[in-house]
Amino acid sequence: MTPFDPRGLVNRALLVGVSGYDFTGPPHGVPGGLPAVGHNLDRMREALVRGRVFGEREIRALPSPLLTEFSQELQRSAKEAEGLLLVYFAGHGAVPSGDDELYLQMRDARVIPGKHTVFDGAEKFSDLLARVLATSPAQRIVVMLDCCFAGNAARVWERFEDKQHVLLLMSVQANHRIDAGDPRTPTPFTTELAALLAEEGDTRLSALADRLLERMAALGHRTVRDEAWEPQLRAELGMDVLLRAGGGQVPPPPLPESRATEPPASPESGATEPPASPESRATEPPASPGSRATEPPASPASRATEPPASPESRELPEPAPPRRPVRALLSALLGPLRRAGAALVGLFRPTAPPRPLRWTVFRIGLPAVLVTGLLGLGLYGPLRFIGGDDTPCAPPLELRVLTDPDLEPTVRAAADAYLTSGENTTGDGCRRTGVTVYSAGSSDVVGALRSRTGAWHEPHDEDVNPQRDIGPQPDIWIPASRADVDRAEDGRDTDAVAALAPEEEPLAYSPVVLAVPHAIASEALDDRTGHTLTELIDGLKARDEDAAVRRPDPEFTDVGLLATLGLYGADARAVSRGERLVAQPGPPSPTAAELLCTLPDDDAVDHRTAALVPEFLLRSGVGCDRTTRSPRSAQYPRDVPGVEPVFVRVRWRGADRDEADRDASVAGFRDWLTGEGGREVFARDGFRSAYGRELLDQERVAEGVLRAPSPLDESAGRDATARTLRAYQDAGGPGRVLFLLDSSGSMAALWEGPSGGPGLLRQSLGGLGGEDEYGVWTVAGTGDRRYETLLDLAPHSRAGAERAVGTGARVRDAEADPHAALLAALEEMEDRGDGDRRPQLIVHITDGEDNDRLTGARLTEVLTAARTSGVPVTVVSLQSGGCDRDRPDHRIADVSGGRCLDAGDDLGAALHDEVARTGTGEG
Amino acid sequence: MAGTRGGPVVRRPAVLLSLLLLVLAACTGGGDGDGAPAPSAAQDVPGTIVVASGRDVTGKNGVRRQLIDAWNQREQREGSQFRARLVELPGSADEQRSQLLGALQSRSAEYDVVNLDVTWVPEFAAAGLIRVLPDDLLDGDVIESVAGTARWDGEVYAVPFNSDVGLLYYRRDHLERAGIERSDLRDGLTWEKLRDLVEALDARPDRGAYSKGWTTQLAAYEGRTVNAVEAFASAVEDFALVDGDGRYTGTVEDLTDGIAELRRRTEPAYTLQDAVHSDEAASLSDFAEGRTAFLRHWPYVYPALHRTFTQEQLGVAPLPGRAVLGGQNLAVTKASPRGEKAADLIRFLTGRESERCLLEAGFAATRESAYGDGARCPAGAAAPSASPTGEGADRVPRDEGGRPAYARTILLPALRNAVHRPRTPLYGAFTQTFTAQLGPLLGDDPPGDEALAARLDEALRRALPG
Repeated sequence: MTPFDPRGLVNRALLVGVSGYDFTGPPHGVPGGLPAVGHNLDRMREALVRGRVFGEREIRALPSPLLTEFSQELQRSAKEAEGLLLVYFAGHGAVPSGDDELYLQMRDARVIPGKHTVFDGAEKFSDLLARVLATSPAQRIVVMLDCCFAGNAARVWERFEDKQHVLLLMSVQANHRIDAGDPRTPTPFTTELAALLAEEGDTRLSALADRLLERMAALGHRTVRDEAWEPQLRAELGMDVLLRAGGGQVPPPPLPESRATEPPASPESGATEPPASPESRATEPPASPGSRATEPPASPASRATEPPASPESRELPEPAPPRRPVRALLSALLGPLRRAGAALVGLFRPTAPPRPLRWTVFRIGLPAVLVTGLLGLGLYGPLRFIGGDDTPCAPPLELRVLTDPDLEPTVRAAADAYLTSGENTTGDGCRRTGVTVYSAGSSDVVGALRSRTGAWHEPHDEDVNPQRDIGPQPDIWIPASRADVDRAEDGRDTDAVAALAPEEEPLAYSPVVLAVPHAIASEALDDRTGHTLTELIDGLKARDEDAAVRRPDPEFTDVGLLATLGLYGADARAVSRGERLVAQPGPPSPTAAELLCTLPDDDAVDHRTAALVPEFLLRSGVGCDRTTRSPRSAQYPRDVPGVEPVFVRVRWRGADRDEADRDASVAGFRDWLTGEGGREVFARDGFRSAYGRELLDQERVAEGVLRAPSPLDESAGRDATARTLRAYQDAGGPGRVLFLLDSSGSMAALWEGPSGGPGLLRQSLGGLGGEDEYGVWTVAGTGDRRYETLLDLAPHSRAGAERAVGTGARVRDAEADPHAALLAALEEMEDRGDGDRRPQLIVHITDGEDNDRLTGARLTEVLTAARTSGVPVTVVSLQSGGCDRDRPDHRIADVSGGRCLDAGDDLGAALHDEVARTGTGEG
Repeated sequence: MAGTRGGPVVRRPAVLLSLLLLVLAACTGGGDGDGAPAPSAAQDVPGTIVVASGRDVTGKNGVRRQLIDAWNQREQREGSQFRARLVELPGSADEQRSQLLGALQSRSAEYDVVNLDVTWVPEFAAAGLIRVLPDDLLDGDVIESVAGTARWDGEVYAVPFNSDVGLLYYRRDHLERAGIERSDLRDGLTWEKLRDLVEALDARPDRGAYSKGWTTQLAAYEGRTVNAVEAFASAVEDFALVDGDGRYTGTVEDLTDGIAELRRRTEPAYTLQDAVHSDEAASLSDFAEGRTAFLRHWPYVYPALHRTFTQEQLGVAPLPGRAVLGGQNLAVTKASPRGEKAADLIRFLTGRESERCLLEAGFAATRESAYGDGARCPAGAAAPSASPTGEGADRVPRDEGGRPAYARTILLPALRNAVHRPRTPLYGAFTQTFTAQLGPLLGDDPPGDEALAARLDEALRRALPG
């Protein structure tokens, strides 16, 4: 199809290049000036004049205009153009999160972050399009953008119905930032654009775009994310424009053939220089057309060591200042990598919120990614799509993200938002990374990362399998406290196969508070801050002697452990008193969120029970029973450390197949999490800033939350948390557990493997230590022998106990009598418990087949005994729906303060946790 | 129309791609590449073949483990140095997928054989994480629809281990008490008739625990996708959201029809309110408690429900309309140093005898022969033996061949007629989008069919670009 030929018509080209910015410092300025852009306008003007489509007077160059100046000139050019209107912009580009828009930042640009980020002094791309479409009689409009995120303009363009005669050339695919390159030469894209416009013969826009893509690829240009830098064109089908008419002067520079994948191999470079990096290629000035007219093409190696030959250098005959070879520069930067990363990336992150100076903005990982990202080129091809070139999206790299149970909803919300964010989307609309978030008990995770990474990597033992019991091997671990990382690293196995690399600064902060029902709370500020936790509880009990306090399980969630630090006081001396303060019937709620959802189940309990929970849950954890729950206000103990989620990269030995890609994916998620996107999620869930401790959402403050409390401003320490956890585990002394294993005939189908009755029992033994007492009864028979002792109630070695269960437990061809067995077990435990105060637990593993013996008066008898014995009975029902309301198993567990677990639970893990709560564990 | 939008005119960097592939070939050393034959057994490194499979709390892992034990015994008898070992993964399918993907991509763990949900096969194949298997592993005995889950890009990448398909469980006793004479629904039930039955039940004065006609899995997870695909495929002939390459091909018109059908199926007048928040366990529990007379579920609850209900109380029928195919397939990882032996293990685990054992143990077998009279499960490998006291170790009604009684008459035809969920390497993005976009339909203020279809179409185009 013949392209539109504007020659002979009234055409206008408006060239805008913003190299200088008025506001470049925090908090609202753009990252800095763009000296390279200062060279763009002359180069473009020269190329257009040579192209003979525009007369010299039809071209207007606007260096670093204010927004108002830009608007006026745009209006003017648009009105005047009758044939072709060309608008060229080079400068900073910025995109808001969660919106398809692009802002072209002029000299007076400022960014004011917030819920709705304000971009002052910037032209909204949709406004630009609307303006030219509304005012210009031009037959064709070509917009060229050379800025970060230029490709994001395509989505804006697509929204315009009357875009038929608008053609859009963008320097880079959507959601990518780009390096402006050497400050003494034009930007890489404009360099190539101008060179191609100067090429001999007719040049139409579509061909120009094709050539640009080839050249950028061949020159090995990469975006800041270290992906191929791919210019984009948007035009309606069949729309094209002639941009240059005949008679060019200088052939374009020949393409280097192998730079995309091969480092220079010349002896001089190979011997003395580090390998080429993405940065080096992005910032090297290509040899100019002028230089190529008289010189042979420069090899990559020679270009790296020679001063650039550019039109400017020809016009200024004195020797150009010796350019520091970029590869050498990179080499020099390998020491202070952080600074290099900050300078490079900071320049092109105009929308990132300013951070306090004491923050470590860029970590060691980032420059390493930039370096290894290149070295990894090609090595990780299998992760790219190989099923067919015509399907654009490869299955993304999968990140496994393990977090604290109380953080899981927030981290999952963040991951969901990230998955569909612009930052996680390639120019082709593909997802870069997949993220799966899961959680597991905090002390189990710490224990596994400290001493069971080998089994996590390669489980050999059916009974010790962290892959099954904790979850996937994490690439990222986000515990609720840095102390977890320190505990995991303290005394680690020397042969640990997972290395932990925590970020220095937490992602957010939330104090642990005493959430007191309004009915028994004091609203006086003096009563709410400045006191220790025990003082706050004493004050509460002084106001209402029936008041109670509950805390989530310190072994399962960090919130419980942090609260326990305050309960036990300095050096964990007041353990007994601390435990009395939070004594409750039955086991504690596993998580703080579940605690807040359990309390309203009983209005009387809800109205008089204060809960030790993180402050953020007063906003995001009160959705259950919203209308009936007791409203609460937060009291801020001065001796309880807060929740400080920390981002930890976990690297597994041998997991080197995609190391560079995986590092880049981890860095991408981390950057998003620490940037605007993550901040919005943490704000929505009620968190505070990790640094300033202020609420991230200042507008909507949850009921009962103080804007500026004065909680403890220290992070939890490794030794204090370890000591407290140990004291908690030892608080009741060693525990006592009696297992009742249903061995009736119906259990035959539920006997084998780790999911069978004996398998579940064996796995749970990991929660018991050498000083704990435990025994196993097999339950079958309805005559004289209704149960048999397989293992006496006594301390055992785990191996011995497993052997006994493995070899001794047998299914009998008989029915069972759970009524008799449970009564006998309760009596046995009561007798034993009279002699000591050990925590006790009965575990009944059954398929419920014989629950017809647990009805009527018999059931009442068991329920009464269970209620009065003080021994929790946890029932593991292998029958679907065995824990449904009104089922005997559910009722027995309920009245005794135990739990009922059925196929809806992850039985192995849940039972292990229950048993571990009673026992001292393997440590 | 997708093809008429103003797409990029620029071409993809073919030069870079070819260079990339060159480097790749050099790095992998050949022989292990796409389509290249797996190393011969002679090249296999003797040792343990690690089989990674999801945890199964129903106790059925017993039969899987027994089959692996049987293979090990065979190897031992033959003096082989190969053994197989089962590594259990977490119970959650999302966590299984994450670990398998992450571990194979990075090699953070070494697996030789992976047990994949059928919807994951294209993703693992396209990502180059599993290898092409010999065609004869997928012989003509494998049920045709099931065999379709094992191929990608024209190659066999996995072998069906156990299948699954949507079924309709119902309460015969409820129907009889409501005066419905024909309480056997196995033939010719439609959704219209089902609604008539529910109206008849609702008209019954004594309701007990009964609340609404039916329940299913509509919570915001894979269950909602399954139910929606079943509705869509029932409403639109030859319904497909993607083509053979996994590219999106849906239209607003088809989506509108599908949404209308899903809306009819989930009308509050017939559907338990809790279904909107139910997963498999919750819906099973509601049905077991008698809160509904009908339940859409999978074959694996057949034994469990027979432990709760008598044969007089419980019936099972093909799902009206189209039902979705589930199940797991075994694949050999690209990185396995004993790929050929691993394929041999898969041949054993998915062979005729093994499939018969799986069927007798309660799984939906993947081979036609398992449902016939020719195949036999070696003694002791699967179904629990009957107890002389009559105590119900096994209350599953069985036919004379030891198969669950419904296997031949209900299960096998249902498997043959089942439809696939969209087969795409981007299934994760698809199902997340599908589930999320359909949420408003089940909310308090549902949008119109067409408006929702337009939004769904746009979101799916984004999720499945190309």
